Amino acid sequence: MSHIGEWLSERVPVSGAQLEELTNEPVPYHLKRWWFCLGGTPAYLFVVQIITGILLAFYYQPSAATAYDSIAYITEQANYGWFIRSMHKWAATFMIAAVILHQMRVYFTGAYRRPREINWLIGMCLLMCTLLVGFTGYSLAFEQLSYWGATVAANISDAVPVAGRFAKQMLLGGDSYNERTLSRFYILHAAVLPTTMILLIAVHITFIRLHGVTEFRTEDESDDAPRHFNFFPEHLLTELTIGLVLMIMLSAISTIFPVMMGPKADPLTTPEVIKPEWWFYVSFRWLKLFSLSFAVLSTGFIVGAMFLWPWIDGALRKITGKEEVSVYIGIVATLLLVGLTVWEAVVTH
Amino acid sequence: MAGGLAAGYGTLGVMAIRFLHASDGDAMGWQFLCRTEELTIGESLPYTTPSGAKVVIARQSDGDTASDFIALSSVCPHLGCAVHWESQNDRFFCPCHNGAFDPQGNATEGPPAAAKQQLTRFPLQVEDGLLFILVPLQAVLGEGMQVAAVTKPLHHDRSEEMEA
Repeated sequence: MSHIGEWLSERVPVSGAQLEELTNEPVPYHLKRWWFCLGGTPAYLFVVQIITGILLAFYYQPSAATAYDSIAYITEQANYGWFIRSMHKWAATFMIAAVILHQMRVYFTGAYRRPREINWLIGMCLLMCTLLVGFTGYSLAFEQLSYWGATVAANISDAVPVAGRFAKQMLLGGDSYNERTLSRFYILHAAVLPTTMILLIAVHITFIRLHGVTEFRTEDESDDAPRHFNFFPEHLLTELTIGLVLMIMLSAISTIFPVMMGPKADPLTTPEVIKPEWWFYVSFRWLKLFSLSFAVLSTGFIVGAMFLWPWIDGALRKITGKEEVSVYIGIVATLLLVGLTVWEAVVTH
Repeated sequence: MAGGLAAGYGTLGVMAIRFLHASDGDAMGWQFLCRTEELTIGESLPYTTPSGAKVVIARQSDGDTASDFIALSSVCPHLGCAVHWESQNDRFFCPCHNGAFDPQGNATEGPPAAAKQQLTRFPLQVEDGLLFILVPLQAVLGEGMQVAAVTKPLHHDRSEEMEA
């Protein structure tokens, strides 16, 4: 055994003390609360997505002629195919929810403020990538709703001034949904976006390590409560517990509510009732409320403001003299987000 | 050296974007529909273009000129969903964002009405009592979405249709 240890330490010259120093970053005490671990939750779900996605890729065939049938094979014939597909679908849903909640937590605690503005930008890029990976994955099913959802999304990008037509043609591989489109969605979903996300997550975590996690004291904490605890093993155990709970939840929900096959895409007939996935309910309702130009431009404005929020917030605080101005704006935005989502969810058209 | 690297990788980047950028082009062609006397007022002729889009052709008035007919696309001008005819409401309806259009294709409700849009009208032509329609020719969106690649010259197209 000692021979193996010597052989290994000669080839990997890192001591236990060095490893401990590398990993044992002091973790602020407030991270004992699970809602402050929402950054680790999407990262864990991302790993689930990669593993289940690789498994699904063994059978999935990204062409209009074969995509639907290959998913039907996965769902109905491949061993545990229904479970792996359901895990992939539900983990995607959970991941998007976790990313949104993480972003909200960062927003409402002001953790994006100086000097963490760049990490907010990276987080915003990760949010956009998560929504895009969700959209492209949904489109791969080549079902009626996913086909028409992709058509609508491509035409939304067409309405963006200047670069819209080019973006649409790049996305679809032509002027409309065609036999080249699914392979593009697949490459984006399975290669381009995950690689981008892995790189962004690496930079995100590097910045967290460089700046340290934002520190908070809650009112119910006594003054003599410890300010920090160790990453290893305490925080790692918290993250592992969350991982275990997530796995139990995912397994249960995938078994109780497995993903079924919808009707195959019919490019000539739009279904009477058409809805995107829940995370796009807001923009779907927004498009019904306003003209296309206004809806697209206002959405672009809102997303732009979200990216630049650390600087906008700084300017607002300077103008109003109130530290909590972003909280009020955040509450209004959240109510709008929830309201439009629920509205779209409860009505047929 | 930096200039050389930037030029080399920049050129490769431009080539990659040009490689990935695919446009269907604007290949259009005249397709035969029917003899003009076969279409009477009140009747409509459903037609599917080579690119897979549904078109409804109807006669608007007696006569034998192109203006006596109308050819409306079933693609909603708002975001590209397919409209369908609601006979009980005498309108075309788009289920995606609740757009509605009158029988002439003018938007009456929803975002298309706010933007004063209308269903695309395809150009029609009458020649020797035969009705033709000008439509895009590429990328069939039907079964399996195979490319049709129907790019024939106008006169050839017509003569072939007439022979058929």
